[in-house]
Amino acid sequence: MSSTTRVLISDDHAFIRRGLRTILEANEQYDVCGEADNGSQTLELAMRLAPDILILDISMPPPNGLEVAAQLRQSLPDTKILLITMHDSEEMLRAAAATGASGYLLKTDAEELLMVALHRLEEGQCFVSPAFDPDLAKQVFG
Amino acid sequence: MSALKVLIADDHDVVRKGLKMLIEEHAGWQVCGEARSGREAVEKCSQLNPDVIVIDVSMPDLNGLEATRQIRKACPRTEVLVITHHDSDEMAAEVMDAGARGYVLKSDSDTDLVRAVEALSHHKPFFTSRVTEMFLANRGSRVTDPAEMMRKRLTIREREILQLLAEGKTAKEVAIILGIAIKTSDTHRTNIMRKLDVHSVAELVRYAIRNKVVEP
Repeated sequence: MSSTTRVLISDDHAFIRRGLRTILEANEQYDVCGEADNGSQTLELAMRLAPDILILDISMPPPNGLEVAAQLRQSLPDTKILLITMHDSEEMLRAAAATGASGYLLKTDAEELLMVALHRLEEGQCFVSPAFDPDLAKQVFG
Repeated sequence: MSALKVLIADDHDVVRKGLKMLIEEHAGWQVCGEARSGREAVEKCSQLNPDVIVIDVSMPDLNGLEATRQIRKACPRTEVLVITHHDSDEMAAEVMDAGARGYVLKSDSDTDLVRAVEALSHHKPFFTSRVTEMFLANRGSRVTDPAEMMRKRLTIREREILQLLAEGKTAKEVAIILGIAIKTSDTHRTNIMRKLDVHSVAELVRYAIRNKVVEP
């Protein structure tokens, strides 16, 4: 059984993928098993690699992150999905929760809170960026 | 030979981290500082005199385009490379009007960014091939947009205040941020609304969103 957590990164911005990879690779616990820059590639790689965690941007060339998350929750139920986004609206948060994703991390929080978010997902809990009202986060994500 | 000094300005930590890694992988390049807002970018440019600044268009407090205008005035030696997720002809035109000589989309490859910094380090412009094609296709046929003409009538200070108001700041908060009197802030707001022919703050916000001064 692997002692490292295998993470697939999906974002259409190369700089963000690189930033996330840099944060993850600084921690021996995490292994970046792949990168994708659009929704279709994400689906293909996820099915092939079956990562423990998928870090998934919402705004990507179609299918977007929400559509990808909803599909993967059906086909890869053991893969935990952490959505990462610049959208800080309640509407987007609710839409994200409806996909079955386990976490919602704002890009402004990413460097500081990525590890916290990943640990929570590994423990079977949900994570929502603290910019959101905690009661709302609990109501929406559980 | 001294290192090429690069300043990075983006409000997303993870983007700055990625950019920093990319730049510092290149021998002879050094990230001399980071900024989280347009205003901080302008201040740090004046302090650090970078050779190149890589700056995001969409930032709070002072957006990248306005920051670019101020940087080009205050630090004429500093070349500006704008990065953005806005893939539009209008944005490319605005970037060049602001005085930036480099334009890269965030969805472009790492290689494009490196090539852009390389070009600017030699004071040569760099635009992705899509932007170049757009300009070749539309050369001489740009129609002057009334809204654009009106925007150009605003002073630099007025454009700064427009963004702050559109972000929801009151005239008092604007005054505190900019270190001006409340009465001066009020006067600027009145002038902005008159010049843009808007009659409420809600209209002002809609104008700012339409013209990409702020994100919706």
